[in-house]
Amino acid sequence: MIEQQPDPLGADVDPIGLSIVPRRTLLSDSIDAWFPLGPGDRPRVADEQAVAAGDPLAELLREPRTIALPRSPGRKAPVEPGQPWSAGTSRRVRGGDAPPEGELLFRSGGRWRVAASERFETLVAPFAGVVREVRRGIGIRVAADARAIAGTDVLAGPTSGRLQIVTAADGQLRAQHVDVGAAGAIIVAGARMDAEALARARAVGIRGVIVAGLGIKERRDFVASERRGQAAVHGLPQFGVLVLDGAARRPIAAAHMALFEALEGRSVAIVGHPPSLVVDATGIDLPMPAPDAVRVRSGPLTGAEGRWAGLAGPRRFPAGVSVEAAYVRFGDRAPIAIPIGDLERFA
Amino acid sequence: MTSAPRALLAIDAGLATTTVSLIGRPAARWRLLGSLSVPAPAEPDAVAAIVVARVAAADRGLADRVDLDPAAVGELPRLTATTPAARSLAVIGASRRAANLLHDAATRTPWHVRAASPETHDPREMTDLALRPGVEALLIGCGDPPGPDERGALDDVAALAGAVARRRPELPIVLAGPIDRRRAWRDAIADAGGAIATDDPEAEPGASATPEGTARSVEGRILRAPAIRLRDGADEPLREILEGLLPRSDVARHTMVQAVISLADVLDLRIELLDVGLDGGLRVLASPGAADQGPSGVAVRTATGGLAPRVVDDRAVDEVLGWTTGSLDRHRMGDRLLDLRARPWADATGDGARLRLAAARAALTRLAAATTDLGMLPPPDLTIVAGGAFIAAPPRAVALAVSDTIRRTGATQVALDHARLLGPLGTIEDPDERRSVLAELVDDLLAPIGTVVVVAGATTGRRGGQRVGTLALAGDGSGPTVELHGGEVGFFDMPPGERAMATLEFRDAIRFGRRARRLTVPVSGGVGGLAVDLRDVPLRLPERRDRRRAALAQWNAEAWPGDDR
Repeated sequence: MIEQQPDPLGADVDPIGLSIVPRRTLLSDSIDAWFPLGPGDRPRVADEQAVAAGDPLAELLREPRTIALPRSPGRKAPVEPGQPWSAGTSRRVRGGDAPPEGELLFRSGGRWRVAASERFETLVAPFAGVVREVRRGIGIRVAADARAIAGTDVLAGPTSGRLQIVTAADGQLRAQHVDVGAAGAIIVAGARMDAEALARARAVGIRGVIVAGLGIKERRDFVASERRGQAAVHGLPQFGVLVLDGAARRPIAAAHMALFEALEGRSVAIVGHPPSLVVDATGIDLPMPAPDAVRVRSGPLTGAEGRWAGLAGPRRFPAGVSVEAAYVRFGDRAPIAIPIGDLERFA
Repeated sequence: MTSAPRALLAIDAGLATTTVSLIGRPAARWRLLGSLSVPAPAEPDAVAAIVVARVAAADRGLADRVDLDPAAVGELPRLTATTPAARSLAVIGASRRAANLLHDAATRTPWHVRAASPETHDPREMTDLALRPGVEALLIGCGDPPGPDERGALDDVAALAGAVARRRPELPIVLAGPIDRRRAWRDAIADAGGAIATDDPEAEPGASATPEGTARSVEGRILRAPAIRLRDGADEPLREILEGLLPRSDVARHTMVQAVISLADVLDLRIELLDVGLDGGLRVLASPGAADQGPSGVAVRTATGGLAPRVVDDRAVDEVLGWTTGSLDRHRMGDRLLDLRARPWADATGDGARLRLAAARAALTRLAAATTDLGMLPPPDLTIVAGGAFIAAPPRAVALAVSDTIRRTGATQVALDHARLLGPLGTIEDPDERRSVLAELVDDLLAPIGTVVVVAGATTGRRGGQRVGTLALAGDGSGPTVELHGGEVGFFDMPPGERAMATLEFRDAIRFGRRARRLTVPVSGGVGGLAVDLRDVPLRLPERRDRRRAALAQWNAEAWPGDDR
C-alpha cells in the first residue's frame, strides 16, 4: 500500500519539485512520419511532392520472394542495386513463371538477385502532407503541420478514419460489444482490449483502435492474425492499434480523454513512426491539462489523477524500499506521498 | 585566496535515471554532500537546485564553507557522464556458424546485434535487415581461408554487402576477413566510381577496393577487421573496431572503467565492477599497479547486460521468471517487462522492486555469460555493483544477487556505487588528478554492503541443509562459533567498518581456490553484513518451477524478508 499519511507540513504547490516529475508530450505541433519500405516495395511519390489523405505513397510487395535472373538486365544500360526491374512479357526466370516486377538486390556470379512478387498492395497517405524523403527499399518521410497525440506503440497501420469514443476511459471493450456501427472509425476503446475484440473490430470494418494498455499476449495474437490476414488472397483493409501507455491495464489519462472528446467525429490517422495519432484540429481549441496536474502511472493507485503538493523527500514504501517521493492531493483529501517515479505529467 | 572551486556537481545522465551529486570541499578533502536520482531525462540544474537547497537547509554552515549559493546552481562546475541508447548492428555471415561467431564477438560490445546468414534468411530478408534505418552499422565476416560451409554463399554475401554500401552511403561497414578480395565485392562496388574507401593501411594500391585505387577519398566508412577464427577466439581487434564506431567521450561505461582502474590503484585492491543499466551492462576487472607497471583493467561492455531486453520474447521472460518467487505467469511477466523497458523508473516499490531485482539477476547472468574470460581471472578483493536496479534493494538482497549470478569461489567485499559517482569522476582526464579526487572521496563513494564468501563442494548430496562446518569470526574480540549448513546461504551481522578474520572449518574437504578443510579469510562489515554461500558453483537450480521457487524463497528469506510466494 502507498503511505496514506497526510502531509504534516500542509505543503502547498512546489513548482521547483514538479520539474523532476517525468513529463510526457501530450500534443505536438507538427508531425514528421516515417513509412518504412522493404526491398521490392515501389514508391509512388517523389521528394517535395504534396500528398492528400488517401493518395498512394507506395506499392508494397505481398508474399515477396527472391529470384535469380539468368541474364543480366544491364546489357543495354548500367543498372544499380535498388533499381526497379520488370520481367517483360515472355522472359522466364529460375523458380517458375516470371513475376511482373521487382527490385534488383545485388549481382553475384553474374546473376542478379531480385526481390519480386506477383502481387502488390497500396500504401496510402493517412494524412495530408509533403513528402520530405523517398528512399527505395528503406522508407518515405512525410511531414505535415497537423497536430499529433503521442502514444507508446503502434501495431500494424497506418490507418485513418473518424474518431469515435465507444467506452469510458477505464472501460474494457469486449468482442460482443464491438458494434458494426463504428465501421470506418478509429475507436477509443478504454483501458484494455483483448485479441478477440481486436479481431472482431477489424472484421466489422473498424479502421483503428486507441487503447491505454495492450498486453503482450494480445499483441502477439494480433500480430499473428495480421500476418495471416495479409497473406490471404485479398489482403486486409488498413487497420492499426495505437497504445497510449504500455502493457498493463490502466485507464486512459484524463488529458487524453479530453482531447478525444474534443476531436470526436473528426478525421484522425494512426501512424507508427513515431507512434501517434495525427489529428485535424482546425478551428477548435484543444483542452490542455493544468500545469500542476499529475497522474499516477504505476503502483497501487494506478490511474489516479491529482494535483502536485510538493516534494516529500525520501520515503519508505512497501518491500522496505526507500525512494524519492512527492505529495499529491486527490480531490479534497489530504496529500499522499507517492514515489516520484510512479508519477507523470503532461505538457 | 584561491579560485579553485569548493563545490561541484557530478552528473550521471543515464537512460533510466539522472543522478546529480553535490561534491564539496569544506576542509582539506572532497566530500559527498548529497545526491538525488530522478527519472530521465531530467534537467540537471533543476535536480541540483533541490540537492543544494537540502544541503543548505540541513547545514547552513557547511553550505557557506563550500560557497554554495542556491540561486547560482547553474554556475557550479560539473563533471558529466552520459549513457547513449544502444545502437543496432546487422551481422551477416556466409554460414550459420560464421554468423554465430561474429554474433558472439559483437555481443561483447555495446551494439544491439541482429545476425543473419543465407542458411537462416533469404537474400531479400538479409538486404532488408541491412537497409533498415535503425541499423547503424553492418558487419560482414568470414574465415581466412573461408570454411567449407562458407564458400558456397560467400560471394552472395559479399555482393550483398557491396550493394548495401552503395544504397546506404551513410552506413559504416566492417569487413572481418578477406571479403574485399572477393570478386563479387569488387564488382559490386566497382560501379560506384571510387566512392568507397578502405582504411586498410597495408592494402596495396593494386588490391584496393576499387580498380583505380582512388577510393581512399572517402574516410573510413569501410573498415577491415581480422578474419573470424574458431579456435583461439581472440575478438579484441574486432571489438575495438566496433566500439570505435560508437561515441566514447564522456560515455559512462567508458569513464567508469577509468575510474575503477584509478580506484584499484588508490585502494591497492583488485576490483571488479558490475554495472547493469537499462540498455547494457559493463564488467570490469581492474588491478593495482605493481613494480613499474601502472594499474590496469579489462572491460567488456555488452548490450546483453541490460536490465530490460529491447525485444521481450519468451526467452527474456523465462530468464526473469527463473529468478522470481511470485506467481506471475508468462504473459503477465511479459507485460511487466514491456512496462519496465518503457518506463524503467516506474513501479520501483513493492513487488515492482522484487521484479526489478529479478530482472537484474537475469541481466547479471547474461553479463556473466558474455564475459566468461573475465570470470576465469583471479577473484577480486572488492566487487562494486552499479546501476539503478540495485539502488533501492535491500543490501543483503544485492549481495545475494551478485552471489547468485557471478559464481566463483573466494571472498570479496561488496559495495554499491550508491550516488553513481564513478562515471562522472571517470571523466577527469588527468589520471593523477582523478586518483587524487578518488582518494579523497573513497569513503563516501561506495556504500559497503559487506563480504561474500563463496565455498564450493560443501553441499551434502541431494538433501542439503545438513551441518557441514562452522564459522568463527575473530576481530577485536573472539566471536561465537556458528554452524554452517550445506547448500545454503548464511547471513551474519557485521556492521560497516568492522573487520575480522573469518575461520571456516568443514567436516570434508571443500573447494576455495584449492581443496581444504579449514580456511581463514579477512572479511569486512557492511550494511548487509557477512554472507557465507555454500551452494554449488556454478549454481544449480531445480528444473521444476515450484521447487525452484521454494529454493529461491528459502535463500531470499534472510536477504529480503517478506518475499511473496
